[in-house]
Amino acid sequence: MKRRHWVRLDNASNIFPAARSDVDPKVFRLGAELDHLVDPALLQEALEETFERFPLYHAVLRRGVFWYYLQDSDLRPQVVAETEQVCAPIYQPDRRTLLFRVVHHRRRVGLEVFHALSDGTGALWFLTDLLGAYARRRFAGEAPVVEEVHELAPDSFAHYFRRRQPVPASHEEDFTREATPAVLTVEEAAREEGPVGEGRARRPSGRRRRVHRLRGSRTPDHRTRALELSMPAADVLALAKAEGAAPTMYLTALFFEAIRRTDARVHARSTFAASVPVNLRQFFPSTSARNFFATIRVEHTYGRGDDSIGAVARGLQEAFSAEATEEALGRRLRRLIRVERFPPARIVPRPLKDLLLSAINYANNRSLTVAISNLGRVTLPSPAQDHVGRMLFLVSAVRPQFCAITHGGQLTLGFTSPFVETAHVREFARLLSGAGIEVSLAAARSTEEELAGVGA
Amino acid sequence: MRACADCSLRVEGDWKRCPLCGGDLRGAVVPSPYPAVPLRYSRRRVLRVLVLCSLGVILLSFLAQLLFRRDAEDLGALRSVWLGIATTWLVVLMAVSKRRNLAKFIVYLVAAAAAVSVYWDYLTQWSGWSVTYVVPIVCAASIAGLLITVRVIRMELADYVVYSGLTVLLGLAPIVFLALGWVGTPIPSAICGALSIAVVTLLLALRGGAVRHELATRLHL
Ligand SMILES: [Zn+2]
Repeated sequence: MKRRHWVRLDNASNIFPAARSDVDPKVFRLGAELDHLVDPALLQEALEETFERFPLYHAVLRRGVFWYYLQDSDLRPQVVAETEQVCAPIYQPDRRTLLFRVVHHRRRVGLEVFHALSDGTGALWFLTDLLGAYARRRFAGEAPVVEEVHELAPDSFAHYFRRRQPVPASHEEDFTREATPAVLTVEEAAREEGPVGEGRARRPSGRRRRVHRLRGSRTPDHRTRALELSMPAADVLALAKAEGAAPTMYLTALFFEAIRRTDARVHARSTFAASVPVNLRQFFPSTSARNFFATIRVEHTYGRGDDSIGAVARGLQEAFSAEATEEALGRRLRRLIRVERFPPARIVPRPLKDLLLSAINYANNRSLTVAISNLGRVTLPSPAQDHVGRMLFLVSAVRPQFCAITHGGQLTLGFTSPFVETAHVREFARLLSGAGIEVSLAAARSTEEELAGVGA
Repeated sequence: MRACADCSLRVEGDWKRCPLCGGDLRGAVVPSPYPAVPLRYSRRRVLRVLVLCSLGVILLSFLAQLLFRRDAEDLGALRSVWLGIATTWLVVLMAVSKRRNLAKFIVYLVAAAAAVSVYWDYLTQWSGWSVTYVVPIVCAASIAGLLITVRVIRMELADYVVYSGLTVLLGLAPIVFLALGWVGTPIPSAICGALSIAVVTLLLALRGGAVRHELATRLHL
């Protein structure tokens, strides 16, 4: 009789199963476009190899009396041809399934992950290894077959923090170690080194303004509306630099502007707010592939001064930089840990916690116009690097948002929304092309009209 | 690749019109990076509405029974048919909604069957047939059923241990009835009680560690 290893889901991740809905299944997709049609058999082999190295991905999600927990399983993943919509639901209560899937369609490989399992950075590690393993099989001989996968860093992320034992320990130990919430692993490390700087949290006071939110008509079967814009990364970088802003905030300002121009409900003094996740591993070394990010909220109110895209971007950047410091994030982290340890929070039964968390999630959503996420520039291990073109990043959404990822000089923005309307993306694309950037669009068909006549 | 002049965009795939502005596209068609996924109107949503409506109707029909006098002789047959239909429908609903977890279904079934029969007994001038016969028989049968299910479909221990435990504990209830003197004939209660105790003992003796592990997981604070 097998005794399964398990790890409690931390508070930060508990929000995902609690706030999951038909519209927003809390799934995100990371993808890569190869220079040839995907070979499913090789991809399956590569998946099996990668799966072995990521014990966390063996987990299934189960419901306890007080907490959700991740439990080790014997399930094996199977690559599948893409037949479902983008970011289709993965976790369904009472149905024990792995919390991720690998899909392929023509030249593309996609990794879809239920957000309670991992965040974008954690999933990127998995996809990087998967592409590496695939390319080593597909292009054997083109590059020396060495385990250099682990040395090459995807992006500037704190890849080095991912301590991988050279000799695999027992799977059980691996599972427990990898599945431990990042917050707790950081806390343990910090305890050895002493506190990470103290100080009271300084909350911006004053009543929050009413934030402009987008409305629209839902897609017919509640699927995520996915559109992606690809463009040369250098051009966007140059454009942002010319305005004196960082690319993420420049794109956010562009997004605000696109909405302002297309939404009839916007008035001259509307406030726009965006949530931007920050990878905490940059500040607090953690080996965990679990969720480990904090979201920073930035906002801009129009009609009070310079509303040019550059000025908005610089304003947002200033607010963002003030929050994205080790000190400010450390305060957040400690608050998280306190909540985690808070005894009354522990004895609340899980169904009640679900209600509370989804209420919190709802309240948070009310104060946001859009969400933005940027995974940065990705570098893949050697044979894969040359055969992967664009990469893409899409997140299921309760509100319009975009996710950015850069690879091979191509910046891809994945726009997702629960609504069929695409006016804001059109305006966004026109703003870019108006600035002389060559933009190309790929879209998944979502409405009845778009799907009519396909395959006929 | 196709291109939209209005948006000055290149458009991948076999779109006839620009997905953003609906304008005409020019240029050669290239294969789309996304498959066209047919619309799926959620069966789940329809099912959920049906279940909720049904539960409402069932609850109301049980409550409506209270409006009729308890000793209304002429209502007897009609009342039984009505309650029978409502109960059957309730069981079907539970079977559908708990189809992925058989052990859980059995617990729900036992609890619902016991509650309905006691209520039914109360409505028909309380003669104690429910606690004497129905509850012990349902409990014993469910324990036997569970033992067979576990053998036949080889459930993983973790999947059934909590709910099987609950089923077996429900099987101890008739002993309480017996002790309180609520039952006419003691035999059914005694058999059911003995079966539960035997299974509890067996479970703890053979799978005690696993039971503790599973409970620790589920109840972890
Ligand atoms: Zn167009």
